[in-house]
Amino acid sequence: MLPSFRYVRPRTVSEAVKALAAEGARAHAGGTDLLGCLRDGVFDAKSVVSLSGLDDLKGISPTKDGGLKIGALTTLAEVARHPGIAKGWPALAQGAAAAASPQLRNQGTLGGNLCQRPRCWYFRGDFDCARKGGEICYAVEGENTYHAIFGGSGCFIVHPSDTASPLVALRATVKVVGPKGARSLPVEKLFVLPAVDHTRETILAPGEVLTEVLLPPPLEGAKGLYRKVRSRGAWDFALGGVALALSVKDGKVASAGVVLSGVAPTPWRVPEVEKLLVGKALDAKLAAEAAELAVKGAEPMSGNDYKVPLVKGAVEEALLALA
Amino acid sequence: MTDLLYWLQGPVPETEPPTAEMPPWGETKVVGKPVPRVDAYERVSGSAVYPLDFALPDMLHAAILRSPHAHARVKAIDTSAAEKMPGVRAILTAFSPGADVPWYRSRGRFYSKLFDERVRHEGDEVAAVAAETRAQAFDALKAIRVEYEEFAFVLDPRESLAPDAPLVHDGGNRYGEPARYERGDLAAGFAAADAVVEATYSTACEIHAPMEVHGSVAKWDGNRLTIWDSTQGVFVVQQMVAGALKLPLANVRVIGHYMGGGFGSKLEAGKYTVIAALLAKTTARPVKLFLTREEVFLNAGNRPANTMKVKIGAKKDGALTAIEFSSIGSGGAYPNGADTSFLATDLYTCPNVAAVDENVAINAGRARAMRAPGFPQGAWALEQAMDELALKLGMDPVALRLANVPKVSQRRGNLPYTSTGLAECLRDGAKAFGWETTRAAKKDDGPIRKGYGVAAGMWGYGGGPPARVVVKLFADGSVNVNAGAADIGTGTKTVMAQTVAEELGVPLEKIRIEHADTGTTQYSGPSGGSKTVPSDMPAARAAAVEVRTKLLAGAAEELKVPAAELKLEGADVVSTKDPAKKLAVTEVPALQRNQVIVGVGTRGPNVEGKVISMFAAHFAEVEVNVRTGEVSVTKLVAAQDSARVMNRLTFECQVQGGLVMGLGLGRTEERVLDRQTGKMVNANWHDYKIPTALDVPVAQEVLSAELVDTECNTAGAKGVGEPATIPTAAAIANAVRDAVGLRVHDSPITPPKLAALLAAAGKKG
Amino acid sequence: MKKTITLDVNGVAETAEVEVGQTLLRFLRDGLDLTGTKEGCNEGECGSCMVLLDGRPVNSCLVLAVEADGRSVTTVEGLSREGVLHPLQKAFLSQAAVQCGFCTPGMVVSAAALLRENPEPTEDDVKKALAGNLCRCTGYKQIVDAVRDAAAAMRAGAVAGGEAGKPAEREEVPA
Repeated sequence: MLPSFRYVRPRTVSEAVKALAAEGARAHAGGTDLLGCLRDGVFDAKSVVSLSGLDDLKGISPTKDGGLKIGALTTLAEVARHPGIAKGWPALAQGAAAAASPQLRNQGTLGGNLCQRPRCWYFRGDFDCARKGGEICYAVEGENTYHAIFGGSGCFIVHPSDTASPLVALRATVKVVGPKGARSLPVEKLFVLPAVDHTRETILAPGEVLTEVLLPPPLEGAKGLYRKVRSRGAWDFALGGVALALSVKDGKVASAGVVLSGVAPTPWRVPEVEKLLVGKALDAKLAAEAAELAVKGAEPMSGNDYKVPLVKGAVEEALLALA
Repeated sequence: MTDLLYWLQGPVPETEPPTAEMPPWGETKVVGKPVPRVDAYERVSGSAVYPLDFALPDMLHAAILRSPHAHARVKAIDTSAAEKMPGVRAILTAFSPGADVPWYRSRGRFYSKLFDERVRHEGDEVAAVAAETRAQAFDALKAIRVEYEEFAFVLDPRESLAPDAPLVHDGGNRYGEPARYERGDLAAGFAAADAVVEATYSTACEIHAPMEVHGSVAKWDGNRLTIWDSTQGVFVVQQMVAGALKLPLANVRVIGHYMGGGFGSKLEAGKYTVIAALLAKTTARPVKLFLTREEVFLNAGNRPANTMKVKIGAKKDGALTAIEFSSIGSGGAYPNGADTSFLATDLYTCPNVAAVDENVAINAGRARAMRAPGFPQGAWALEQAMDELALKLGMDPVALRLANVPKVSQRRGNLPYTSTGLAECLRDGAKAFGWETTRAAKKDDGPIRKGYGVAAGMWGYGGGPPARVVVKLFADGSVNVNAGAADIGTGTKTVMAQTVAEELGVPLEKIRIEHADTGTTQYSGPSGGSKTVPSDMPAARAAAVEVRTKLLAGAAEELKVPAAELKLEGADVVSTKDPAKKLAVTEVPALQRNQVIVGVGTRGPNVEGKVISMFAAHFAEVEVNVRTGEVSVTKLVAAQDSARVMNRLTFECQVQGGLVMGLGLGRTEERVLDRQTGKMVNANWHDYKIPTALDVPVAQEVLSAELVDTECNTAGAKGVGEPATIPTAAAIANAVRDAVGLRVHDSPITPPKLAALLAAAGKKG
Repeated sequence: MKKTITLDVNGVAETAEVEVGQTLLRFLRDGLDLTGTKEGCNEGECGSCMVLLDGRPVNSCLVLAVEADGRSVTTVEGLSREGVLHPLQKAFLSQAAVQCGFCTPGMVVSAAALLRENPEPTEDDVKKALAGNLCRCTGYKQIVDAVRDAAAAMRAGAVAGGEAGKPAEREEVPA
């Protein structure tokens, strides 16, 4: 059962900002994550601020520099089937298409996908875990098959988004509007590691709304993909995955974005791998070397050491697919 | 469940002789044809009213407060705040008058109560609320204060018998003595073997997860109770509710027309049924009580996890010399079946066999029979062991199985089967699958490896009495069939209409089935165990034959010819000697006088000195990504021996569904309990993964051996639901072994498990 | 807190006062007695509650009724017209793509949306479109076959399916 709450549907972003600044206010974009969390008592809401009336935040349009602006309320389905995105920023199109189920993608938005709460079963379940303000992370001594091998401390969730890793790999930025005005930041900087604050996943302050995602223009010779490994064909989060955004010039990698998914509390960029790839021709040997490097320093828990070979395999396969 | 498995436990019930003489059907006109469901319109249009859709005027809504702890004692309950909540009309706890109802009966003893002060698993019932709205009922649950004293718990059946294990029940953690079976001389058998394999296999706990949650609507009229229930058997619910509330059976009417799946989890009344009835009694209002999806995961049954040790020996030619099988499983916090040894003792010819089944208590939700209870687990172990044996002997796995096809049921007194299609299933399946050619062409390189596997199975229960059906022929020639069986989605109503149409020549559009209502329809056992067709169709046939006999007798009087020379032809009764002598059915005076001709059919006893069993062989093709451990099942072929196929469409649908449920066992499904708290962490459809449309192969073929079996029953059909799911998971596991050379002993075969195994084995693309 | 909403349900304008915390699913089932839309999990995981919202399939258990204000909703009851089944429903019937039938309304609704966009889907297209609809009985194969049969029948124009059966113009998202 849903708890009782107040409901407002602002007409402008500034009204939304004001409503969201109130204590206990929760943003409703597609509602797919919010309603589940409220129903399961993961958190409460004094008021639900529906963003669905903000038409300015919907749709996809080209920017002057040849990039793309995607309104935060654009559905995942729209992102997935947009021919321009599939062509210029394939990792994002594939990430959006890999999320949830087709029906949820009709409701879920790109902004919501970036801001969704984690899928950790202790966080979602009837456990007073650290992320909900409790004392311990149950995954440490418990059932941690699906938990982090990188970046965990005090909490070992993995970030659930399939679009976040592609966006980081693509060096996208987001625009955030809040009580103090608007700001832009790289998607990479949107997320918070548990070492910084284990009770939240993004830097968004009360009252702040993610309004748009900006994709830089595709580089010459751009290639990309998103590879997600999961247990089931649909409605399943990544066991491990990788977003690649490469540009190839004269047979050599000119630039590289390599970001893992399903392995850490944030999209997990591997700069060492990016560095390794640049300036070299992508072949089987390099792919194997890069895959090895991608999982270097992993700290598996009792039940998830499989993620090391799995992610390694996914990275190698993904790189070879672009070779 | 004891009812359902009586074939394992003792003689069949007393029964009346069949009411009509019925030679086996020869060529049939309606039976066996791919006829669409008679109730398909309701099911596809959305007009079918399921129990969850049901509402009555002035109805209250109820919800249950459940233990958040795996093992605890309820020290105190304070409902005072909840009682004052808006809309709350009644609250029941262990301390409420009338709520002291014993529950979970096994071996002559009750293991718990409706609300037990000692809760033995997360989800055990603690209190219940009835309120004006569902939201108010759930709000009130939150306001009930419960003080618990927490106890240590045990989750793994293998740890349940340790000397220091927490006791789930005060008498100890064993549900009865281990069940032992022996024949021949095991030691001699292994001594005579040329090859012996031995390994331990395990299956994860599965949840039935039918699409419609469990629940009931209860309404009293004085001391008469009516219940609308999502159930596989209205008469079981009637018996359990009448027993719990000490009411005469006649005062409890249970109606269960449509229902959204059960798979064995709805073969009994739930506590929710009785709680709804008690709340309705207290408030003098109808009460609707349906579980949430999470509650279904926690407390509406499961297929228990089993750990099975198998040792098999064989001669060089494949002839089995000895099988040793031991199994431990758990009925859960309260007793239910967890045995798995049957297949190991009966599927193949083997002179020396020993098996033991151990069933213990743990602090987790109670099991309920799940589609072929015990058999898919047993097949997972036995059929992987057979695969290993074939490898060790250097034999084709199909050939090894063919070398051991039994002619008699060794487990059941060496009695012959009425029909046995195991060899046909193996041969036909292998041919359709392209077993030899695909295996010969297999390559073992590259990152994506193909593999091929086979597994066989059987289901040892061919139905039986009691079952009764009444057929009414109305004055206009239309027919009403009255039967107590639930149609759980298998097509019972459709097949029954076909059976009656076969005998009476009435088009299906003129037949209406009244079913699954203890107040108005005839007794039938619950629909489960693949027994509805073999139990109820003979009764339906007998009833139709009786109607036909009476009709022909009436016509004979009018036409002044002996009844023996008359036959039904379309809507007419015609003389076989003189076609000019005919009479429309509707003009038969006996029918016109009485406005109806009634036939009563009963299910006769099963054939003496023989055993009825269904057989199956499944073949799987998989692709394994050796880099990531991903497994894709790319092809499945099911060859089934169910004797007569009553309806090709419903038959295929059953088998396809069985294959995919087996795929779930083999590939995706697993209940996960948190070792720190004993709580289930994946009590939802996202974390508990049943297969989606994207997990099933495009290539899926269903074959039927279609043996003629004139002895199994008068419909000649043996049933199909259970055998269709028994060997699938094992066939997939064997295909994975074939693809990558690694044996996954523990279900399900997930990327986590396989990626770890592949890495450990140093496999690379 | 209550709000008044006006929406189009199966071609009928409905105005109602709803709790803001009420889902579209509960509004359809309890408020309008349209029980063809099933409740399976209330978490957006099973697809039993699928409806078309402005022509797109969504899990109505994850949509607040207030969010449907001013929009158009099609339920399984809206696919058939005056007792005449939609070609998809006919195909589910004739292909035995139904067992217990509880997932069927959701399956049919998802499939209807697919056929509006893609009148000639491959098996893979159908599976992808139905990936958010769980079925525990059938094993999906007959469902996939039925959807493709219905698509063929609709293409051939051999079956009159009413307005809902006609494939709509494909919506293009502006690039």
